[in-house]
Amino acid sequence: MPSPALAIRTEALSRSFGPKRALESLDLTVRAGSLFALLGPNGAGKSTTIQILTTLLAPSAGRAFVDGHDVQSDPRSVRRVSGVVFQDSSLDDRLTARENLDLHGAIFGVPRRERRARAETQLAWIGLAGVGDNLVRTFSGGMKRRLEIARALVHDPSILILDEPTVGLDPQTRRAVWDKLAEIAATPERRRTVFVTTHYMDEAERCDDVVILDHGRLLARGTPKELCDRTGTTRLEDAFVSFTGHDIRDASDEQGAGMSGMKMRLRMNGRG
Amino acid sequence: MSDLGAVVALTKRDLLRFTRDRSQLLGTIGRPAIWMLLFGSGLRRSVGASLGAAIDYRQFTYAGAIAMTILFGGMFHGITIVWDREFGMLRSVLVAPISRFAIVGGKTCAGAAVTFVQGMVAAAFAPLVGVHFGVTSALLLGVAMAVMSLGVTGIGVALGSRMQTFEGFGVVSNFVVLPLYFLSGGVFPPDGLPPWMHALFLANPVTYAVDWMRAVIGQPHVFDATRDALATFGFAAAGGIAAALAFRRTAH
Repeated sequence: MPSPALAIRTEALSRSFGPKRALESLDLTVRAGSLFALLGPNGAGKSTTIQILTTLLAPSAGRAFVDGHDVQSDPRSVRRVSGVVFQDSSLDDRLTARENLDLHGAIFGVPRRERRARAETQLAWIGLAGVGDNLVRTFSGGMKRRLEIARALVHDPSILILDEPTVGLDPQTRRAVWDKLAEIAATPERRRTVFVTTHYMDEAERCDDVVILDHGRLLARGTPKELCDRTGTTRLEDAFVSFTGHDIRDASDEQGAGMSGMKMRLRMNGRG
Repeated sequence: MSDLGAVVALTKRDLLRFTRDRSQLLGTIGRPAIWMLLFGSGLRRSVGASLGAAIDYRQFTYAGAIAMTILFGGMFHGITIVWDREFGMLRSVLVAPISRFAIVGGKTCAGAAVTFVQGMVAAAFAPLVGVHFGVTSALLLGVAMAVMSLGVTGIGVALGSRMQTFEGFGVVSNFVVLPLYFLSGGVFPPDGLPPWMHALFLANPVTYAVDWMRAVIGQPHVFDATRDALATFGFAAAGGIAAALAFRRTAH
């Protein structure tokens, strides 16, 4: 049995897409209650890892446990204890913020009488109570992202998994999002783990632990300070480049995680 | 565990979306109006003459126009699953601790409900096209429409589960909805059709739904009403199974 102090554990986790190896024998451990960042250049395997941890993709080999539950043999338990925020908005923009939270609560098995109260708590916490009855399509990108974080907490998960949650957000919203993530991980009465992928090293510097992934393999792990010390750098960004090299990755993100042309266009139009 | 609650919640969500979409509400009323009033009245003299004195052409196309409304409505709602995938909403549902059957069940129930309402709107045009029937007939007509709605929505969900782009919807409209409609006996009677077309007419599940509707409102019909009902229930079951099987393997 995996140690209860680990929120996430993978053993020799691998995933191939045809001849392409997106993930090669990844051994990952994430301490319960920590703020953890998975870093890596495009195509490193971050999204593949997230898809496996959220039970959307089966590994080719190896195992993964979330809060002690095997993603393959017990996906429902994994889903119950996880709150997920995807890279692209997954809100229903024709519904109001409240309706989105209520729908989420219902499909995550939150009893009807509790749903309303939980939705209100989350809306107030994220600062959207005043616009709770507005359609999500009228929201800015930052409001949508905050709402998604609030939504992911409605069923009281012990692990929050976020895939590049601050892409496309203004600095104010980015900071607000990270303050909230830090708050989630640091609330003593409800210890939660926050697992995040990001390209922003200033964000990763706020994390307890980071792992750097490249070409589907684990390159380094430790606290941001440890990684800087190991590479003789003072900024995590320099440590990151020192581990992963200067090559620019033209490869699109791994298969199955890439955006479709439609979403790409929408995102370029500023609606994504 | 919460699968039934999830079906209810997902159904509610789709119904909410429908009631907020003005263009869809407009289409609900506009489509049958156009088909029954313009098409039916327009072809009344030319095509209608061949039907004999027993039935007016507008009355003849009544059941067909309801069927067409249900065909378009059901297919469209099934296919909204493509929207859900494109705009990411489907992902948030796929990571919920519910079975995929609950997801597909919610989609199909909501689609069938909306489609049924659209069919009712079409059916309400009866007095305008000279169709009159009593309460029992109306209730039986409702049953026929509900069962057909379920089957069509199921097929729509099945197609939408396998479709990657919105553009596919045009293909479905042209190569699934229209042939099913034209070969259902709803537009023209099957008498004197070439053998290959007659075979398609007999193989078309919509044929029996249209025939059943005609039977319950006391219009001339081709088959025995029980046979029509059994075939339509079979179609609904097949639609539901197709939806479940196709969605099980859907991409996210």
